[in-house]
Amino acid sequence: MAQDSVGLSSDYQFWMQKVSTWDQASTVETQQDTCLHLPRFQEFLRQMYEALKEMDSNTVIERFPTIGQLLAKTCRNPFILAYDESQKILIWCLCCLINKEPQNSGDSKLNSWTRGLLCHVLSAFRFDIREVGLFTQGLGYAPADYYPGLLKNMVLSLVSELRENHLNGFNTQRRMTPERVRALSRVCVPLITLPDFEPLVEALLTCHGCEPQEVLWPEFFDAVSEAFLLKKISLPTSAVVCLWLRHLPSLEKAMLHLFEKLISSERNFLRIERFVRDSSLPEAACHPAIFRIVDETFRYALLETDGAPEILATIQVFTRCFLEALEKENKQLKFALRTYFPYASPSLVTALLQHPKDIPQGLWHQSLQHISEMLREIVEDQTHGSYGGPSDCWFAFIHFGGWADVAAEQLLRSEADPPEAVLWLLAFSYSPRDGSQQRAQTMEEVKAVLGRLLKLLRSPGFSARDVQAAAGQSREEAPRPLECGPLIRRLLLNFLLWAPGAHAIAQEVITLMAPTREITHEITGFLDQTLYRWDHLCTTAPASRKLASELLTELRG
Amino acid sequence: MESLLQQLARFSEVLAVSRTPHVSTWDPATVRRALQWARYLRHVHRRFGRHARIRTALERRLQSQWRQDSGSGPAPDPGLTNFQALGRCDLVLALRLLQNRALREAVWHALLQQVFPGPGVPGADEETLQGRLAHLARRRAAVHVLRLHGYQESPVVQEDALLKTQAEGPGGLLSGLWERGPQDNFLKVLAAALLLPPPSPRPQEEETGPGTPNTPGEGHHELLRWLLGKADILAAFCRRLPAGVVAAVAGRHPELSRVYLGLLADWGRHLHYDLQRGVWVGAESQAVPWEELYGRFQSLCQAPPPLKDEVRTALESWKAQDGDFEVPGLSIWTDLLLALGTGT
Repeated sequence: MAQDSVGLSSDYQFWMQKVSTWDQASTVETQQDTCLHLPRFQEFLRQMYEALKEMDSNTVIERFPTIGQLLAKTCRNPFILAYDESQKILIWCLCCLINKEPQNSGDSKLNSWTRGLLCHVLSAFRFDIREVGLFTQGLGYAPADYYPGLLKNMVLSLVSELRENHLNGFNTQRRMTPERVRALSRVCVPLITLPDFEPLVEALLTCHGCEPQEVLWPEFFDAVSEAFLLKKISLPTSAVVCLWLRHLPSLEKAMLHLFEKLISSERNFLRIERFVRDSSLPEAACHPAIFRIVDETFRYALLETDGAPEILATIQVFTRCFLEALEKENKQLKFALRTYFPYASPSLVTALLQHPKDIPQGLWHQSLQHISEMLREIVEDQTHGSYGGPSDCWFAFIHFGGWADVAAEQLLRSEADPPEAVLWLLAFSYSPRDGSQQRAQTMEEVKAVLGRLLKLLRSPGFSARDVQAAAGQSREEAPRPLECGPLIRRLLLNFLLWAPGAHAIAQEVITLMAPTREITHEITGFLDQTLYRWDHLCTTAPASRKLASELLTELRG
Repeated sequence: MESLLQQLARFSEVLAVSRTPHVSTWDPATVRRALQWARYLRHVHRRFGRHARIRTALERRLQSQWRQDSGSGPAPDPGLTNFQALGRCDLVLALRLLQNRALREAVWHALLQQVFPGPGVPGADEETLQGRLAHLARRRAAVHVLRLHGYQESPVVQEDALLKTQAEGPGGLLSGLWERGPQDNFLKVLAAALLLPPPSPRPQEEETGPGTPNTPGEGHHELLRWLLGKADILAAFCRRLPAGVVAAVAGRHPELSRVYLGLLADWGRHLHYDLQRGVWVGAESQAVPWEELYGRFQSLCQAPPPLKDEVRTALESWKAQDGDFEVPGLSIWTDLLLALGTGT
């Protein structure tokens, strides 16, 4: 407590000096400095209020003899009063100065002075045009009505000037010089979160003249980006696109914000979808420049986290939302797919774009074959062709995760021999960097496991241990090398969900499979993703769905 | 309903008093009651905002009251002037009381505590009184900031924000005049304005007051547009002014003639033929009587072309729609045409 008050005292000195320097913020320098410090000053005001409200008026004066000066100077600075809640907190601070039981004339004088200052804050900045005052009074127009209307009209007027600027291009008769636009963006900084200002913020972002360099003040972009991420302002997609294109740090912050939200919550596809949709990134990504930056950020995140499933999931959800947004776009100029995925061949992208739900289930194996062949060609091509190598086409592939999931499911649901193309595809999706020998080995392993699992299916009944044995794990043997781990686990899980006799023993098998928390997370992730996928494919498999939900609840609970 | 109107009347008194030295007699309980009242009326505003009948009744009462008040004193008290004002009555009351030096110190402290209880009060900023007062202060600061550092006054009067805001008023400059009355005079002045001679180009700028148009020509457009947008004032214009005047204005402004004809058609269709008495009568007392209808059409037919011809054509077509009778008593348009004669 004592430390707090010491901190507050030194802060007080600092801000006292600042506020004196700023005065009415009538010069560019004072305006700039004020705007830079607005959030921190508001925080200081809040702390002051918390301290002041515990004291009575005399203690306040004792503790902070110059507080009257500080508050008075603050009242004179329109930029401070225009920012967020500063005016409200200032009023509360002034209320703390009031002496409820004035003992002498000094107390009364102070009260009177505080009263005056309070009224000033509430009704400051009149239009000192006498005729206007009388005129509005004559029409019954109170300031409470007048000022909101006036603000609206001023904003409208500025917006139309900006749009005129934008449309007229090289017309020299513009009233909006670049300096004026810059000044406007500077004075708008405290006002970005005022709803009346949304049209102006939008106009400043979307209307630009023809100067080659950026006209708007950089702190304006920062303030808009911050307000947008905290949902204090709502902007149409076109304005957000302009913001991110004109000011790269805003886009970076938006992506960081998304990652932070994803990390702090459990991996749940519905939640991921909500966060992604909330972020406006899919709509903005219809602009190729933005898509490329977002995509590269995802790729970087994947590399840094060594292919974390959360990032993979986010990429898939993002791609799906992006494709939806792209379809809804009805701009005349539609960009070719190549612009979005320059590192993959157009035929590959086209094949991957096809959503399984648009193809009859009977033909899925054909699409899988086709995709597998294309990928294999690129991967095994030593010359690397005109497009990227294995890592690039793997990155393209995981955007459209649906196909890898379909592949695993199909292997378990068909009684026939597993086609090599599908085996290759699965092995590739889990370990893109394997050499051809290693991959062949993996494929053999998977084939063996599949064979054993299918034999189980044909047998009259089987136990959890039988399943474990089919996976190649036995209690005596050492655990499998990690590369096969996730893939075999995926097969086992699919088997449990689809095999009719497996429902009873599913829980037991999972307990055997999941000795660590990491693996439990992996399994819950898989179950969540499967349910989400089934919802989108409109897969009707009530028994499997029920089992998956139950297992998921059990594991999470 | 009646009690609501009474409360409205009494609160208006309170609001008027809140600016006067009379508040020196108030104590904290009075202040609390006044604020509660204002809160209640604000609730009324929210509750009946969409309820057209109650809203209109309240508005009418407020406007008649204001007309009374403004007639008496030199500077009218801009208290509650229309229904919209109810939504902000607590703001207005609070601001007036806070700024009234006649309020005793202890009472003022109590007021302050009520108006600004501090954080921790439930409710969003848009709802609480302190939130809305702070919001208003913020907007005033915003206007100031813009005016000094960004906004430029526009040379084009209709676009200048300050003038536009005044013109918009609580329902608009002209609407304000209409509300304050006397209405007949207003209508006559309006007609006179619309009949002013067409503008000649004026090189020098004339001294203009705020809100008035630069030249009569521009004003005509604005004036007419405003009138055409106000159905009730337009109806009063066409009904209450003498036939000749309306015909003259209609002759000058084709848009008005179209609307006028529409109104006349409507009035005509509300009359039915009384067989016993052999005359056209209306069902309600406010219906336009035959004589007036005839008089108006007569003025129109005496107007110069193209209005004269338009009216004839309209009458003929309505007669045809009704069945093209030549016998009187079946279609009012037939009878009117018969009465008007062939004309030239």
